[in-house]
Amino acid sequence: MESSRDDIVIAIRSAFLKKETQQRFSLLGLIFFSIIFLVLGSLDFKPVNYIKTIVKEIVYRSSYIISGPENFVKKNYVTINNHFKLYEENKINIIKLESFKKKDLSNKIITLENIKYKKLIDDYFIKDNETFAKVLIDKQSPFLRSIIINKGSKNNIKLGMIILDEGYLIGKIVEVNYLTSRVLLISDINSKIPVSLQPGDTQAIMSGKNRRSGVLQYIKDKDLKNNNEELVVITSGAGGLFISGIPIGTIKNKKDDLKTNNEIVHFYRNFSQLKYVKVVSYSREKGSLDTSSKNDSAKQAGKVQEANQMEETLKILLEQKKIAEEIRIKIEEENTIFKRKIIDQQNEILIIKDDIKKNIIQKEEIKFLKLNLIYGHKCKKSVFNNLYKVTSKKYRDCVFRKGLKKN
Amino acid sequence: MSKINQGNIEVFYKFVPITLLFISVLNEIDFNNLGIKYFSFNFSYILIFYYSLKKTKSFSYGLIFVAGLFNDVVVGTPMGISSLIYLLLCGAAAYLRNITLRPNLMKDWIFFLITILIIKSFSFLILTFIFDYEVILFDQMINIIFTFILYLIFIYLFNFIKTNLFGVN
Repeated sequence: MESSRDDIVIAIRSAFLKKETQQRFSLLGLIFFSIIFLVLGSLDFKPVNYIKTIVKEIVYRSSYIISGPENFVKKNYVTINNHFKLYEENKINIIKLESFKKKDLSNKIITLENIKYKKLIDDYFIKDNETFAKVLIDKQSPFLRSIIINKGSKNNIKLGMIILDEGYLIGKIVEVNYLTSRVLLISDINSKIPVSLQPGDTQAIMSGKNRRSGVLQYIKDKDLKNNNEELVVITSGAGGLFISGIPIGTIKNKKDDLKTNNEIVHFYRNFSQLKYVKVVSYSREKGSLDTSSKNDSAKQAGKVQEANQMEETLKILLEQKKIAEEIRIKIEEENTIFKRKIIDQQNEILIIKDDIKKNIIQKEEIKFLKLNLIYGHKCKKSVFNNLYKVTSKKYRDCVFRKGLKKN
Repeated sequence: MSKINQGNIEVFYKFVPITLLFISVLNEIDFNNLGIKYFSFNFSYILIFYYSLKKTKSFSYGLIFVAGLFNDVVVGTPMGISSLIYLLLCGAAAYLRNITLRPNLMKDWIFFLITILIIKSFSFLILTFIFDYEVILFDQMINIIFTFILYLIFIYLFNFIKTNLFGVN
């Protein structure tokens, strides 16, 4: 018993303490070094932080290079896939474009009204820094869903800046190095974002779940279990972490998510396809209720009114156009009918003209026959005279002259 | 000539494990998170345990420590934690090597399961209680199970590469 315990101790000692051949460091020494590194790093010890920054810069660049072939394959696969979907997407896009065109003017008016009201309550933010960055590393970790971008403190990137992909929220900066930064994606389980559900303005906190979806936690004031309509999820701006109104995703009706107890937020963006992102920071616009802002507000009101008038005019013009179109169609129909009538009448006139001609001929014939009965013998050729043959034209003329000779 | 070639191949083979380890930690494809709901495994654990057990030259603790640091940077965990875990894995493999007179694959396999259970629990405790990370226990269990199952497959694969591809005995 005693000897077996000794064997274990010897084996452990040999494994951890003995510096084996071709090993420059002992295992236990390195384990202690790791623990020290971990502890000092968590305590923000400056030299360790410097080492960390250097290691990060090296690793991010190396990882970008090493992931090159894989990214090349992935990129080509996506390109080919997109190519095959192009026709269907084009058809859908055309339909969408039409519907968006219709909504555009109304949206402009709503935006201007929104700006006006936000200024009135001193909650209007303007972009003060906007940078585009390339995604260097997109390694999905089970502990942290994050990406590395190629902009750092050198490019005025600061902690907490918002990351957008085509206007949709995808994350925020959680770590800034000199040339690179780490973005915590909203799909991460540790990211807690104050959101608002529209319509209804229900407040909630959203946490990440997986690449394409998140879950709502702490839903306030509303039971969404029997939700039958699609809800739009936007940032609420609560807590000052994000500005309000950045779109995140949608909550589809319950049929889709029956198996889960949580409300599933389907993100607008696919986080596995990120290539370039926009890093933005916002600042509150100065002066909201002073004279200048009142003037601004008045200007905005003027713009809103102008836009409203434009919309009204547009509506009237559209109505007029509709009426004019109806009249035109009616006139065209009438015109067609009249044309037909004219053709019919022309045909009738031609027939009548023919009849008249025939009548004239008949009348002349009757007159000839009558005169022929009376004066025929005066014009008729016989053995005793040298007059005209009965069928000849001269005979006819003679009958019409009542047998009188020509002067 | 053929001796020189064989020698070169052996030298080249010596650096394959460590190269594989660095590629696996630096590459964007992470078997820990393939996006499949009930499938993930830790390739680095298998690699480190197997080659530590085989006492492979060039697979030095210093380089494993650096690989751990790199992994932490890429994955986003506190720097030093992966190094610690990797080194503990090396320690466990070295201990098994010391107590083993006649190597047995099944024993190695069971020992690997016990080791990854312990080190995963250890990393879970550190991440949850010290660094406030929210780690899903179920995902970790899935990871452990598949790492354990795939260990055997990878062992055969590594042996196949060693003998058939490189011709090293």
